[in-house]
Amino acid sequence: MNIGTELWLFAVSLGASALGGMLGMASGIFIVPVLTTCGHLEIRSAIGASIVSVIACSCGSAAPFLKGRFTNVRLAIVLETATTAGALSGVLLVGVIRASYLFFIFGMILLLSAYQMLAKRRDPALGPIQPLTGRSMARRLDSSYPDRALGRDIAYRVERLPMGMILMYGAGLISALLGIGSGVLKVPAMDTALRLPIKVSSATSNFMICVTAAASAGAYFVRGDIVAPIAGPVALGSVVGAILGARFLMSISNDRIRLLFVVVLVALAALMFHSAFGPDLLGRTA
Amino acid sequence: MSSRRTKPVRIESLLAGVLNVGTWLASIVIAAGLVLSLFHERRSIPTGAQVVTAGIGLFILLPILRVILMLTIFVKERDYKFAAAAAVVLLIIFAGFALGTLSK
Repeated sequence: MNIGTELWLFAVSLGASALGGMLGMASGIFIVPVLTTCGHLEIRSAIGASIVSVIACSCGSAAPFLKGRFTNVRLAIVLETATTAGALSGVLLVGVIRASYLFFIFGMILLLSAYQMLAKRRDPALGPIQPLTGRSMARRLDSSYPDRALGRDIAYRVERLPMGMILMYGAGLISALLGIGSGVLKVPAMDTALRLPIKVSSATSNFMICVTAAASAGAYFVRGDIVAPIAGPVALGSVVGAILGARFLMSISNDRIRLLFVVVLVALAALMFHSAFGPDLLGRTA
Repeated sequence: MSSRRTKPVRIESLLAGVLNVGTWLASIVIAAGLVLSLFHERRSIPTGAQVVTAGIGLFILLPILRVILMLTIFVKERDYKFAAAAAVVLLIIFAGFALGTLSK
């Protein structure tokens, strides 16, 4: 590993992470495509490096959300039983699945992200909170968060927990399989199943990402799939990029920036599909 | 019920502190390893790559530490249902390590 490669990996990850941070997305979704297509890395080394950077970004950015009381830590630990179980299944799958399929799934996830970027998220209508009924475990997850615009705490309930758990299992599986934070799949789980306010769901999902990733990263680390000279610069670049990205945080309602990201995501998806089906890469699949 | 308003804030600021310090520590170790690998290739002990690997290991341990902390807090608060959830998460993560060793 020479200085040039180290610097290149560091710079690329910094850029990807800053880019992702601006829109509140995890960096992994950019890092794997860039490492495999521009860096010509084998997809499994790219996934191993990316999963470490996913942990780094999630841990590094959790503090402000926790202090602002947006993160629902009880809900997080309950959902993490599902995401880590999914991650474990992903670790089992990644050993047997062909690299071309990994590229294909990655392409689909990129397209899904592009679609989500186009469709604006809205807070679910928060009706009046009903008086407590049985099901004590689920009701203890209900909480409140401070709303700066209204200047008071907004109470919310957690709905349809079993449905949310199933979707979280899927998110954990994809996270382990592709080395991404899988926020793309956590968003629909949080919005449509659990019906959480956006600020709570973003903070809680970000908080959960590092534990989900640790389940698969632990396996990849002992197995020797995480190559230090690649994963090191990538993790460091991602942390620095995440700090910079948060500084230049842009409003997600800015339609022009959203459109630019949609174009980038679709272009990366096209690259991934090319890697999945491209004739020159068929021989490389394991 | 009144205790629930103060206690969660304490959990949250504790977790925030641990995650912040841990991220800095792991990043500094990785940075030190990278610098070491640039200037003293193969001659130094430990080698740069080993230091970088240690930093990566720290990053993987950090979320595990977070779950252990939550487990301890829930047990202390006699909140056994959530303590059980934390224990399950820990077991699954350890199963991941076991799986990695087996499939090496």
